[in-house]
Amino acid sequence: MSRYSEKGINWKVILFLIVLPITIFLISFALGRFPIAPKDLVKILLSRFFDIEKTWTDYQETVVFNIRLPRVLVAMLVGAALSAAGAAYQGLFKNPLVSGDILGASAGAGFGACLAISLSLSSAMIQTSAFIFSIIAVALVYILSLRMKGNQTLGLVLSGILMGNIFQAGTSFLKYVADTENKLPEITFWLLGDLSKVMKGDVLLALIPITVAIIPLMIVRWKINVMTLGDEEAQCLGINTKFIRAIVVICSTLLTATAVSVSGMIGWVSLVVPHLARMIVGPDYKVLLPVSTVMGACYLLIVDDLARLVAAVEIPLGILTSLVGAPFFLYLIMSRKEE
Amino acid sequence: MSDNVAVSVKDLHFAYDKTEVLHGVSFDVNEGDLLFLLGPNGSGKTTLFKCLLRRYDPSSGSIFIDGQDIHKMSIQALARKMAYIPQAHFPSFNYTVLEAVVMGRTSYIKNNSAPKADDYDAAIAALDKLGIAHLKDKGYAHISGGERQMVLIARALTQKSKVLIMDEPTASLDYGHQMTVLSVVKSLAKEGYTVILSSHNPEHAFLFANKILMIKKGNIVAMGDPDKVVNRQLLESVYEVPMDLLDVTRTENNFSRNYKVCVPVFNEGI
Repeated sequence: MSRYSEKGINWKVILFLIVLPITIFLISFALGRFPIAPKDLVKILLSRFFDIEKTWTDYQETVVFNIRLPRVLVAMLVGAALSAAGAAYQGLFKNPLVSGDILGASAGAGFGACLAISLSLSSAMIQTSAFIFSIIAVALVYILSLRMKGNQTLGLVLSGILMGNIFQAGTSFLKYVADTENKLPEITFWLLGDLSKVMKGDVLLALIPITVAIIPLMIVRWKINVMTLGDEEAQCLGINTKFIRAIVVICSTLLTATAVSVSGMIGWVSLVVPHLARMIVGPDYKVLLPVSTVMGACYLLIVDDLARLVAAVEIPLGILTSLVGAPFFLYLIMSRKEE
Repeated sequence: MSDNVAVSVKDLHFAYDKTEVLHGVSFDVNEGDLLFLLGPNGSGKTTLFKCLLRRYDPSSGSIFIDGQDIHKMSIQALARKMAYIPQAHFPSFNYTVLEAVVMGRTSYIKNNSAPKADDYDAAIAALDKLGIAHLKDKGYAHISGGERQMVLIARALTQKSKVLIMDEPTASLDYGHQMTVLSVVKSLAKEGYTVILSSHNPEHAFLFANKILMIKKGNIVAMGDPDKVVNRQLLESVYEVPMDLLDVTRTENNFSRNYKVCVPVFNEGI
């Protein structure tokens, strides 16, 4: 018999992680320009599965299923994806100040979207182009880093900065040559990041790649702990560092690319949420990664609710995440007891 | 001390681009040896270490551990034969001591898994053995440098590998902690661990090592029992500074100890 069992499962944390998102999910539904009473909301939702006497209007049902449900789900998916990617990258780069777009994923997506907007492509094509260019940017970064001598992690960071700047220059160029009546405002608005145009179809479009990417990350998550010691120690402890690094980079890129292509640029989430999670549950990725993911979903949903409600006109989500995220992050850093 | 060869380095050459920094280094380390690797900065000491850890691929020559060529072993298999104990460094994330030590079990844990009760038991046992079990729930960032070095040794012990490679374990420690760490290392060698340790302090080698390896400019200049092979001329030529090497005998309460003390000579005015 072993004297010391595995660290006991923390039921409080698990309960919190189940109750919190469900509560915020239900509240978010009820909030909005067309308020729906919680009682009606539950009935409308259940009416898809059970036979319930109709006490609500068709209009309310349309709002719930075609507008609010997709938006709430996409907000949660995007928040989860950004936070999981941020947490994983922070481990890989041994640095809690790294964010999910360190390898140029956002810069690439921004360029892809601007290119598609400039060419007057459909909104589905804008998303696709953003996604593809995001992947291209990170793939180029990865290939470049393999050709650099010495420390591969540093190589990734340097090529990430480089490639990010090249794609940003491309975006700036497209903005410069864009038609100032139509295209420039559209580009600018896309780059701000928001979820107001989310439609029913976007849910699956976000759900599938995010699920595909998050599963491998969750599977290898304990080993990310060992990667935080750096390549040399990790390898001497018996990790195939190339393999784990590849999994983290590929999955996090897929997550960031999907999130950015659906929502535009949304800053600070991937930096703030893993930080907050780490302060609550500690740095062990076995717990940290799932907690970051769930907290990211809750965080972005709350901020998106604010975006919908705070002002008469909807505020782009990207502005709010920075406005809320940056001071909150400062608060976290300053309230830390020691270290 | 047995005569079984634990680590064998055969005619190792290594070059950065075209500059060769190791010119055919060969030596054997036996089971239970505590080998001090001494040499001035830029001697090729670090390069030799990186080759031993398989971080660098030598241009020619080979390294055997328990008779197996390290370049033909899997990363996991090598980790089970040889553990690396780096210099204590400040961690990026504040893991608890137990979480940090259990990472030594990595080579026994599948990619899709996490440490189990057995792994935590091994980690606790290693902490117990070094007398630092009371630290297990402390933040790894909140303990002293000496304690952190002990934690890294505990981590290596959970790896269950018989060869320990240590990179200047005393570099940033005060006298007291230097002695604590080195006596622990010495007792591990007595238990049968094979230790290869790099150091800048020949006095430590006299105190603890049963074997030294001195390299300069990529060549071995001395190898063997420190009391026999190290003399003043050798130290002066290796470190390129005038030295005094003194034999000191101190008798206290009818108990006498012999020390070797080496001091670089400081000539004012040159």
